[in-house]
Amino acid sequence: MEREQLRENMRTRKEVAVGDFMPFPYPEKGEPVENIALFERPSISIRTRLVMAFALSFAMCAAITIWSIYIAALVQEKIVFLETSGNYRIEIQQARRFEKNFLLYETNLPEAMEHLRNAEQILMENGETIGNILGASALAIMKAHAREYHSLLTELGRKRDPLERQDIEPKLREHGSQMISLALEFEREERESVRKMLSQARKIPFLFLAVLVVLMVFIAFFIKTQILGGLARFKKYTERIGRGNFTPIVPKRKYRDEFSMLAAAFNRMIQELDRRHNILVESHKLRAVGTLVAGVAHELNNPLNNTMLTATMLEEDFSTLDDKEKLSMVNDIIAETERSQKIVRNLLDFARESEMEIRPLQIEKILDDTIRLVVNQAKMAKVKIEKEFQGPLPPVHGDAQMLHQVFVNLILNAVDALPPHGTVRVSTFKTKEDGYVVVEVRDNGPGIPEHILPRIFDPFFTTKANGKGTGLGLSVSRGMVRKLGGYVLAESKAGEGTVFSVFLPATVVPSKYSSG
Amino acid sequence: MEKKLRIMVIDDENIVGKRLKPALEKDGDTVETFEEPNKALERFGEAPFDIVVTDIRMDGIDGLEVLEQVLARSAKTKVIIITGYATVEVAREALAKGAFDFIAKPFKPGDLRAVIEKAAREIRA
Repeated sequence: MEREQLRENMRTRKEVAVGDFMPFPYPEKGEPVENIALFERPSISIRTRLVMAFALSFAMCAAITIWSIYIAALVQEKIVFLETSGNYRIEIQQARRFEKNFLLYETNLPEAMEHLRNAEQILMENGETIGNILGASALAIMKAHAREYHSLLTELGRKRDPLERQDIEPKLREHGSQMISLALEFEREERESVRKMLSQARKIPFLFLAVLVVLMVFIAFFIKTQILGGLARFKKYTERIGRGNFTPIVPKRKYRDEFSMLAAAFNRMIQELDRRHNILVESHKLRAVGTLVAGVAHELNNPLNNTMLTATMLEEDFSTLDDKEKLSMVNDIIAETERSQKIVRNLLDFARESEMEIRPLQIEKILDDTIRLVVNQAKMAKVKIEKEFQGPLPPVHGDAQMLHQVFVNLILNAVDALPPHGTVRVSTFKTKEDGYVVVEVRDNGPGIPEHILPRIFDPFFTTKANGKGTGLGLSVSRGMVRKLGGYVLAESKAGEGTVFSVFLPATVVPSKYSSG
Repeated sequence: MEKKLRIMVIDDENIVGKRLKPALEKDGDTVETFEEPNKALERFGEAPFDIVVTDIRMDGIDGLEVLEQVLARSAKTKVIIITGYATVEVAREALAKGAFDFIAKPFKPGDLRAVIEKAAREIRA
């Protein structure tokens, strides 16, 4: 009752856990427990990751495009301004040309004044921009020179005396040349800045290309690890499952994605395959039981006959026999009944369905039990079974029922293959290094033809006549041995016989045995 | 008084001989029991028996071989085969090879006595 309660609790707890971790692709109810780990991770689907990668690529490309548009606009503005600074220089130069004319021929002063005003107008209108480019102080100096020049020019117009004009002339020339050099510098600065911007603009395509390459590499890497890597992993899983390894898939990545869903589906499939495989194993065992029953029935007739004869004689001669003889006969009856019991129990043990229970087992005991099961079959086929156990061997890691089934299959196969007076030799030894105990089932029968040998472990492959064999014995046996962490090898030579070697992992470090 | 019959019983089960010997001797016949077919055939070579009762499945030489060898030495001997697992094939084979009859395990001494009586009648006829 308590245990029932506990189990109930555990189940509800499990369900709560499943519900907690699966907000979005929630698997169907009754999801195998093995899948929980797959869903315990935070979810970032591959679709989300792809969308993120492409959004990021778009953002970077957009940023570079906007930047290049900005640079182009800036360059355009500069070019316009360059024109303005050129105009300014030309106006100053014109003003100075007319100033010289005036000094030489006393003509053109109004023209000089007009050009100067134009220049001042340009300075006024573009004051802010010029200030930004050359600095506020440079602008102030330019303005001051212009103002000074203006006033000197006005003064020059008023003076009629050439001597007085001579006083003004050097100052006028000084300011004039300053203005021109400033205008030239201003123009040069502008030209330099335009050149810089253009060279910057020229780099943009290269930058764009570099970013594009980085993004492409990133996306290629992403596809390789996230998608191709996942596909390769699942290809390996299918190979593993094909070999009969039905352990569930465990999470390999930090986040769960579409592949986690696939893994969950795989685990469901694995569970179903495992269930079907177990049914197959069970049905094959029942077939073996059917075969063994014939031998057991035969064997059972001996103690039954002994009991029958003894009991009948006891009844017949009850009045004439002495007590000692009667007791001896009763003891015979008891002993023969026990013998019957043993024969039946052995088969029932083998036939009984039981949960897999892996524990250390003494291989000699397993083989003795197995031989006892099949010995009647062998007797009926007039085949001898020999044992050759090399001891002491370390215990093997296994399930008694499974091992019985494996060796029943192998020995019955050997018996079936042998003509009368053939021999099946069952021998054991251990491998030197890797800690395996090996059981060899060797027959001196006709052998397996070379072209058939690679197929003998295939399910449903049989050489026996229609209906006599299921073709499952070896496939099921190999499946079980693999489940126990071992492997089966087959060797055969035409005319000499066949050896099946079953390698089972030993439970103890073999050095303990080899030294002891 | 009818002539006593010499009966040989071969079965590798010790109890079979042990129980059949007194059961069959009640009719006054001579009964010798063997567990090993080899020794039985050796003895048969020394002095033939009128009736041989043999189990079919034994280590070494089986009942059918015993049947053949016995009949080869003494054609008028009646061989009765005991089978543990009565199949039509085995019975047919035994009869084809000249066995007088067969009886399936488990049987009562009375069943065997009836078969022996039938054989005895043929011998005396």
